[in-house]
Amino acid sequence: MPHLKMWEIMERAAEGPYCEDDEFLYDLFLPKMKEVVRKYEIKFDPASPVPADDDLADRVWQAAVEFFLAVGVHNVDTHRRILISETELNEALYLAPEQHMVGAGQETRFWRPRRVEDERPPFCIFSPDITYDEDIFLQASMAYVQEPLADGVCGPILEESLGRNITSGTPSEMVGVMEHAMLLRNATKLVGRPGLFLVAVGTAQSDVGQVAASNNEWGVRSSDGRLIGVLTEMKTDNELLNKVAHCKQFGCAIGCLTGAIYGGYAGGAEGTAVLETAHHLVGLTVYQHNFNNSFPFHIQHTSNSGREMLWLVSLVQQALSRNSRILSTSNGFFNAGPGTEMLFREASAHAIASVVSGGDLWTAAPRHNKHRNYATPLEARLACEAGHAVARQRMPRAQANEIVGKLLAAYEDQIADAPAGKPFQECYEVMKVRPQAWYLDQYQAAKEELHALGVAFPY
Amino acid sequence: MGTLDELVLAIQDGDSAQASALARTALDEGAEVAALVERLSAGMREIGDRFASGEIFLPELMLAARAMQGAMGVLQPRLLESGAATVKRGVIVIGTVKGDVHEIGKDIAMTMLRAAGFEVHDLGRDVGALDFVRRAEEVRADVIGASALMTTTMPAQKELVDILVTKGLRDKYHVILGGAPVTPEWVEEAGADSWGEDAGKAVTVLEQAMSDRIASAGS
Repeated sequence: MPHLKMWEIMERAAEGPYCEDDEFLYDLFLPKMKEVVRKYEIKFDPASPVPADDDLADRVWQAAVEFFLAVGVHNVDTHRRILISETELNEALYLAPEQHMVGAGQETRFWRPRRVEDERPPFCIFSPDITYDEDIFLQASMAYVQEPLADGVCGPILEESLGRNITSGTPSEMVGVMEHAMLLRNATKLVGRPGLFLVAVGTAQSDVGQVAASNNEWGVRSSDGRLIGVLTEMKTDNELLNKVAHCKQFGCAIGCLTGAIYGGYAGGAEGTAVLETAHHLVGLTVYQHNFNNSFPFHIQHTSNSGREMLWLVSLVQQALSRNSRILSTSNGFFNAGPGTEMLFREASAHAIASVVSGGDLWTAAPRHNKHRNYATPLEARLACEAGHAVARQRMPRAQANEIVGKLLAAYEDQIADAPAGKPFQECYEVMKVRPQAWYLDQYQAAKEELHALGVAFPY
Repeated sequence: MGTLDELVLAIQDGDSAQASALARTALDEGAEVAALVERLSAGMREIGDRFASGEIFLPELMLAARAMQGAMGVLQPRLLESGAATVKRGVIVIGTVKGDVHEIGKDIAMTMLRAAGFEVHDLGRDVGALDFVRRAEEVRADVIGASALMTTTMPAQKELVDILVTKGLRDKYHVILGGAPVTPEWVEEAGADSWGEDAGKAVTVLEQAMSDRIASAGS
């Protein structure tokens, strides 16, 4: 690393083949996706939410490579395609590190790629993925940071700073991102994990907001990470590339954020699996990422715990693990809210499907990732404990498929009308930063249910 | 199967060239143009329903909409010549607000609104609040649709409503808000008129709003 130089990417973003939006979609993206899904005979099997077909996983990989090389990445600002050659892609895959070092001091972690049915536990990033009220932001952050299995934390998002609305690209965002970074940093100190790997700050939507948060003293450190998104689908823009350039120079880890949409431009589960795998190649080459955060989601439910979604989540992770050293955190998006049995089941099913397939975890976003304060660390704790357990016991995909099938049977008919649950403030004693007794009981019951299904928790 | 049925099928299959050719054939065979357009619109509504139910996906919807546009390119001049009442339901200016570059939700809504007979003016992404208002004035819009995917770009939706109020134009437009983080509570707080929970519901809401507007103008 690095393989391609940053300025080579920036040159292609400005001077690559000219292509307008409709041409990119109708003449390149749609026909090529249809072609590779058919050519590589990729077919969704509803009976196998955790497929155990190595050849299918490899065909998804091959389809993604062919798609990525043919279509490239569209810069919507310049209307240019960033094209990567096969040799350049192979070079990037060859040079992908055996390990990445993140975090600092006592919390330093060596993050290594996992294999399908690997006994090494997943790298676990705890993240609510939603907004919290400003007055409980510190306590909510501490609740996540204190989780024992957290190898990293991506804190909540702020919508208000100093009692005022934050608007992206304005001075309110500059203040908000500083407050976010400072509070998150304080949370790590108060919990006694000052070097913990933080992926921050989600409050900064704009490029200038991200730059403003970079500070090794009080803000996002060079031992931390940032997320930089790929636009829907296979697109980027100059603002996102500005973030890449800044992160490369600042020295922090880059997480490429990708969420291929099931039912969107790629069509059903088959095309979405190919697209999400191809997104990882965008991260590897164009964003020169350290890891990918992968959250494919259903266009109507905005979640990824349904049968077709788990199939493609599992398959993407298998395709990556069998064919590359790309790190990928599988990001859970769920339907139910905190304090419900359904959420614990969704989070566990997603974690088991991801981990036996070679993925790492980034969890959990309850209630369609859209309701303020509706996330707690307990659903993430159970997901990560289940992830550790199935790795340690080297659970075969076939067994995982059976367990996930039973969990699905208990919740999949409620996906369209899932229970809302309760906000963080009702599930936790906020100032003491600990779960309410009833909530711990519910978590324990969910854990026992998993144990009865065959998940051998280490503790 | 008659030409009209074949035309509907060509549109539903997303075959743009075939749809245009069959539209010409239908006219040559003496089909009544207004009835033809009404039948094609019904066919597109069926496609929209199938998309909303998850039976088909976005590529099929978009290709069908493109084929419909192809057929309408053939039918529109004849429709104008005939003096028949158009099926246009209302004029909409739509875009993703300032600071937000996410377009897919807005694009799906746009496709379904066009399929339902609305005249839609797409302003694209990262659109300033005042630019929405200026364009709405320019095209004599009935509706302004503003989409935001990020919680930190949602305030720009309220800014749009505030500008309409400041300029004394608030009652002139129906303002609909959409985007994943948008809720009915936010719609009320921002002072907008309706919530486009998803593309299908946006069409239903706006069809009702346009009916109400016509009824209110007539009373």
